[in-house]
Amino acid sequence: MAEHLLTVDGLAKRFRRGDSTVAAAEAISFHIDAAETLALAGPSGSGKSTVARLLLRLIEPDAGSVTFEGENWLALEGAPLRTHRAKMQMVFQDPLAAFNPRATVARVLDDPLRIHRIAPRAERPRRIAGLLERVGLSTDLAGRAVHEVSGGQRQRVAIARAIATKPSLIVLDEAVSALDVSVRGKILELLADLQRTDGIAYLFISHDLGLVRVFAHRVAILDGGRLAEQGDARAVIDAPQSAVGKALVAATPKLHGFTGQDAS
Amino acid sequence: MSAAPQVPLVALRGLTVAYGDDALALSAIDLDIRAGERLALIGESGSGKSTLALAVAGLLPASAKSAGTIVWGGAPPLGGRDIGFVFQNPAGSLDPVMAVGRQVAEVARTHLGLSWTDALARARDLFGRVGLPDPDTLVHAYPHQLSGGQKQRVTIAAAIAARPKLLIADEATSALDTIVQAEIVALIRRLVAEDGMTLLFVSHDIALAAELADRIAVLRNGKLLELGSTRQVIGRPQDPYTQSLVVAHISLDSPPLFAATTDIPVNG
Ligand SMILES: Nc1ncnc2c1ncn2[C@@H]1O[C@H](COP(=O)(O)OP(=O)(O)OP(=O)(O)O)[C@@H](O)[C@H]1O
Ligand SMILES: Nc1ncnc2c1ncn2[C@@H]1O[C@H](COP(=O)(O)OP(=O)(O)OP(=O)(O)O)[C@@H](O)[C@H]1O
Ligand SMILES: [Mg+2]
Ligand SMILES: [Mg+2]
Repeated sequence: MAEHLLTVDGLAKRFRRGDSTVAAAEAISFHIDAAETLALAGPSGSGKSTVARLLLRLIEPDAGSVTFEGENWLALEGAPLRTHRAKMQMVFQDPLAAFNPRATVARVLDDPLRIHRIAPRAERPRRIAGLLERVGLSTDLAGRAVHEVSGGQRQRVAIARAIATKPSLIVLDEAVSALDVSVRGKILELLADLQRTDGIAYLFISHDLGLVRVFAHRVAILDGGRLAEQGDARAVIDAPQSAVGKALVAATPKLHGFTGQDAS
Repeated sequence: MSAAPQVPLVALRGLTVAYGDDALALSAIDLDIRAGERLALIGESGSGKSTLALAVAGLLPASAKSAGTIVWGGAPPLGGRDIGFVFQNPAGSLDPVMAVGRQVAEVARTHLGLSWTDALARARDLFGRVGLPDPDTLVHAYPHQLSGGQKQRVTIAAAIAARPKLLIADEATSALDTIVQAEIVALIRRLVAEDGMTLLFVSHDIALAAELADRIAVLRNGKLLELGSTRQVIGRPQDPYTQSLVVAHISLDSPPLFAATTDIPVNG
């Protein structure tokens, strides 16, 4: 059997709440191939971010295994973990929360290049300019503080930082949810473009099935910490089998009926 | 909706608002809100939607300078009684250390002159109307014990407690997941119909606005670009910006972004 880029098997995590516990993730299994996008969808509290944080090793699971780039990912510690961390990056909904808002754009991009020893100091300004160009930002922005750029520009900076270390997988947790529609479309196109050119895989977390359907190859729908169904994104969304899948589809606002485009 | 000519509930004429020395947040807005209609206000972030909603409710901060007129069809409204306001962030509009039932009862007591006992009974009724489970118990709960969707139902109960004529919902569902959002939109639709309220629904989501509103107003950079029936604005948008909003909307039948590079067949 061909090796997947990422294989998750039986992942589980419980959190304490008062004197009981909540199963935030239970028996979660899926895989992602190189240059592939898997979406994690589900209502609020269904465990999407928990799965993301487990993969990124921000929290430790109670059970389960993760194989990433052939490594026993959960067993990595110390220097080998740091080395491999460069290969799995993340972009969250609010990049301001992840950056020091007073740091300049250049500084935000310099950090990963320095920490992961991607480029020597003398070469880094050129690399930073190259990264800004990749994500469609003017190099004039390098000197600006992160809080002085627009939400859409900030999300491009977050993507530039994520690709600085040449990752094979980027976890996108509601990364486009807070953006205006026009900006959102452009960011999704940028991400799709990076996937085509660099073969990056995405774990795309969203509760918006419209976005999932255009952006992801496959989707896994979570409900109460468990996988309700998974499969080809368009097949699942066009004919959901699970109750939660059906509810999510029914709840997605629809423009047709007004646009006259519903010819089918 | 009835096409009979009607006195608007409120008429905005040349409404202009500026915060400090910045560019105008609203510039010369002419807009009628018709009694009994559901009007949606859409536009990108910073276009002036909240500023317009706050101006109508008389809630602009002291730092805002405004010009133009806001003329009410009937008697001028009493804030809090005649206008109910639901904000995006329910947590921010609830007092964290007061039981939620009391917070709703407080509105009824202040504006309807009810006794505490009657106001609390009204809060319990309202909790039932907004679909909160087990109202008798839940009126005693504190905000942190409720989910985001439940908190938003409480703020809606508070907003309608004094039987307002106009309900303003400013991104009232943006912080909620799609399923809860659909429930809250259905709730707002039902309450507005049952009580004969007028609705001003502020949203950046054009599809959500289209599902709920009779008419849609499009704002950009503080200007009113387009106003018309939902069918007109979505089906035959006149302004290029509105056209771009309709085109940019990603829905369940939009073509995938990766079609060129995969072997997954396109349906239909
Ligand atoms: N650190 C924590 N301590 C206790 N409970 C937690 C913690 N993190 C998450 N949870 C709980 O785990 C469950 C799953 O939460 P999670 O954040 O993964 O959901 P989600 O699907 O990302 O939701 P959303 O769409 O709202 O972001 C929820 O019930 C949540 O309250
Ligand atoms: N209290 C304030 N002080 C100064 N400027 C403000 C204030 N509130 C709004 N503005 C500015 O006024 C303009 C219009 O803002 P407004 O909040 O009305 O937009 P909006 O359409 O509601 O945006 P969003 O979708 O982000 O809520 C923006 O440029 C904003 O930065
Ligand atoms: Mg989450
Ligand atoms: Mg606003």
